[in-house]
Amino acid sequence: MVLLDHIASGLIFSSIIILGSIGLSLVYSIADFANFAHGDTMTVGAYSSFVTFGAIGGLGGAVLGLPLGFFVALLAGIAVAALVAVITEKVVYEGMDLDSIGMLITSIGIAFIYRAVVQMWFGADAVRYDIQALRPIEWLLPYDVRVTEHDVAIVISAAVLVTGLHVLLQYSDLGRKMRAMADNPDLARVSGIRTDRIKLWTWVIGAGLAGSGGVFLGLFNLLRPRMGFDLLLLIFAAVILGGIGSVYGAMLGAFLIGMIHELTPLLSQLGAVLPYLPDTFGLPIGNQYGSAIAFVIMVIVLLFRPQGIAGEAV
Amino acid sequence: MSDHVLELADVDGGYGEVQVLDDLSLHLDENEIVCLIGPNGAGKSTVLKTAFGLLTPWEGNVLYHGREIGGMAPEDIVREGIGFVPQTDNVFGSLTIDENLRMGGVAREEGLEEAIGRLYERFQLLDEKRSAKARTLSGGQRQVLAFARALVMEPDVLLIDEPSAGLAPNTADDVFGHVQAVNELDTAILMVEQNATKGLGISDRGYVLDQGTVRFEGSADGLLEDDEVSKLYLGG
Repeated sequence: MVLLDHIASGLIFSSIIILGSIGLSLVYSIADFANFAHGDTMTVGAYSSFVTFGAIGGLGGAVLGLPLGFFVALLAGIAVAALVAVITEKVVYEGMDLDSIGMLITSIGIAFIYRAVVQMWFGADAVRYDIQALRPIEWLLPYDVRVTEHDVAIVISAAVLVTGLHVLLQYSDLGRKMRAMADNPDLARVSGIRTDRIKLWTWVIGAGLAGSGGVFLGLFNLLRPRMGFDLLLLIFAAVILGGIGSVYGAMLGAFLIGMIHELTPLLSQLGAVLPYLPDTFGLPIGNQYGSAIAFVIMVIVLLFRPQGIAGEAV
Repeated sequence: MSDHVLELADVDGGYGEVQVLDDLSLHLDENEIVCLIGPNGAGKSTVLKTAFGLLTPWEGNVLYHGREIGGMAPEDIVREGIGFVPQTDNVFGSLTIDENLRMGGVAREEGLEEAIGRLYERFQLLDEKRSAKARTLSGGQRQVLAFARALVMEPDVLLIDEPSAGLAPNTADDVFGHVQAVNELDTAILMVEQNATKGLGISDRGYVLDQGTVRFEGSADGLLEDDEVSKLYLGG
């Protein structure tokens, strides 16, 4: 039964990482650099929604234990994250004549700036949304699954956003152009695609999804100035594991990384979940090693499949 | 006002600070096929890239129906009525054939479905594989798709960079057949071709480029029969 609880936690954590990894992969595909400010873009989204929710309050009704005002704040977080990313692209990245390494280093600087602004404004201590904590869902308790309606809201919201992105990528004119540009930016220009506009839309969508991931991360844990940066390496691991440049690969990689991260504590309770082992049997690996185990598995996969799970062999 | 559909006049140009084109002048008239031949590094592909806005001319003019287009962005030049088929990476491999054609028509304001329908009628193999990813096509099929992608806009000038590169002889013959078929759609074609004999064989006129400038020009038949051109550039 304890296995089900960890799987549920994995689903929730994966949902947040998926939202972060999509944007990182999209921007990598089209802007051609690894954006180290992506984690802090999540932070920007989280704190923007925090401010908005503080200003507008609950607005009456609630869905899955979350006040309607929270969903408005979620939209504000998405919008501000997208706006900040677009401004950064126009003011900083667009005018730079640097290779991908130079852009990567620049983005580290941008990440520090985002974080410094957040910390100057809100301080270094953690804050939380003024939303009442919920008890675990009753009917799942007999299965030892301790999830709240808030957790369910995170998973459902992520599923809705990912489905929306899929529909956009596959069935809209903008999505086809984004895929074309990710595939071959030179040919995209030759075909008449206004690639500068597509690039901006990519920033909007990627940063917007990252902002939503930040909001849910703040709901799942707490809001801290380092919250996005601390998650960034796991998001990179997800993108690399899935296959750099593949949005769907990034989603798959994020799902796996999130699950591995949350299932790691089971290693110390193997006897409880596997047959033929003493109940007390376990490896001395606790949840503090979740990230390390996720990276070990990423390295093992890459040894056998260097292009990642869904990436194309070069 | 120039009578030519496309004209490069006294053009210097190149990559970064490396000059490739040196006072180069050539032109393309309506419904012509013109072939550029010459040794490697002569500047043939650079001519096409400069005409299509992928490179900005340092000096001189690029004129389309007499209007200056030198330095315009490729996405604007497409809208003017010029198409370009690059030598390599000329299809979107991860997109389906149908999506490739739609990308070729992004600048169309109307009539996209009808234009794609006409191309499916003309190129049956594309019609049969509409939903297949472009990366699953053979080299010759990819080249056909690359032509079709560029034709969705129904340009009156098509620039083609080495259409037979990397293709087996039979497949290359098929591709040259498609070039002629495209020309019959009232599309003037400026083509770079390494296989000079085959390229000139389907062309009306030709230019022999060497070291970034035009060394010889004339009718395709005349160039093929010219002893000096034959000796220096056709391996004769």
